Amino acid sequence: MTQLSELQMDALTELFNVGVSRAAASFSEIVNDRVELTVPKIEICRLAEIGEKKLSSDEKRRVGAVSQRFSGAFDANALLFFAEEHTLKILGDMLGSQVSADELAEFEQEAMCELGNIILNSCLSAMTDMLGITLNSSLPQYYIGTYPDLSKALVGRTDDSYIILMDVTLAIRKQGVEGQIVFVLSTPSLASLVSSLDRLIENI
Amino acid sequence: MTQDNSAKILLIVDDSRLSRMMIRSMVLAQHPNWIIIEAASGEEALESVDQNMPNFCTMDINMPGMLGTDATEQILLKYPNIRIAIFSANTQEYYRTHAAKLGAQFVSKPITEKSIVKALEFFELEP
Repeated sequence: MTQLSELQMDALTELFNVGVSRAAASFSEIVNDRVELTVPKIEICRLAEIGEKKLSSDEKRRVGAVSQRFSGAFDANALLFFAEEHTLKILGDMLGSQVSADELAEFEQEAMCELGNIILNSCLSAMTDMLGITLNSSLPQYYIGTYPDLSKALVGRTDDSYIILMDVTLAIRKQGVEGQIVFVLSTPSLASLVSSLDRLIENI
Repeated sequence: MTQDNSAKILLIVDDSRLSRMMIRSMVLAQHPNWIIIEAASGEEALESVDQNMPNFCTMDINMPGMLGTDATEQILLKYPNIRIAIFSANTQEYYRTHAAKLGAQFVSKPITEKSIVKALEFFELEP
């Protein structure tokens, strides 16, 4: 596995930090409230470990997840998670108080895809601006399930390749709503991303 | 950009070494005689300000430990003449307004020639 230097790891963390900061700003505009961010954590681990090690701190908790694939200079699967009980609160903020709870539930799939699309694209576009590259995005998909179910479905494979897991929490404190963004990159994509980072570092 | 021949001290506060390197390089390209010092956290910045008395400071927000906005507030309470540019990709209205209330300049990340010019223009404003 590629061993990243301290500077490469720093650059990767900063790249993600810039991305999620932009995502938090977009999320804040959507819900019209302040969104707080944790400092992003980056870990490189085996793909098969994701479900066990990273996303299953509360295995029974049901979450809504928007998944979007990005491809180009590198390929990534970007995921936005919210606890299922929080998704309707977020949609209430997005759609306004005149929409009933039944109607909100009806819109859930479509609205969460749109929310994910805006937040994940904000994140990715800040990262591609910084690297001077272009990525194409697929249509977002929405899933509901437990963390172990979702990680298996979303990551898709359970082979031994390494992945980079970038994890950050966005929180609307007043509402008690917390979401997570996770990026999954395959080993070759990680190598491509690191090459882009190396070019950025060389050009300083 | 007007070239200033007097040596100024700039403190760069960012937990990312990459960001510190980028800011340092772009600022030195405009002001080769400036003295650049660095801090990797808000706490380090407070110590460095006491020791080095910089004229200007660039400040990240989202760092482990103290938030950059909190460090800015403490620095400006003690040294109101230091010009601080808060660099963040988190362009939420709250942070922009908060920076303005503190008397700092908000500058959007990513760090580019354009964002550095915005910070330098703020540093060079007449008092």
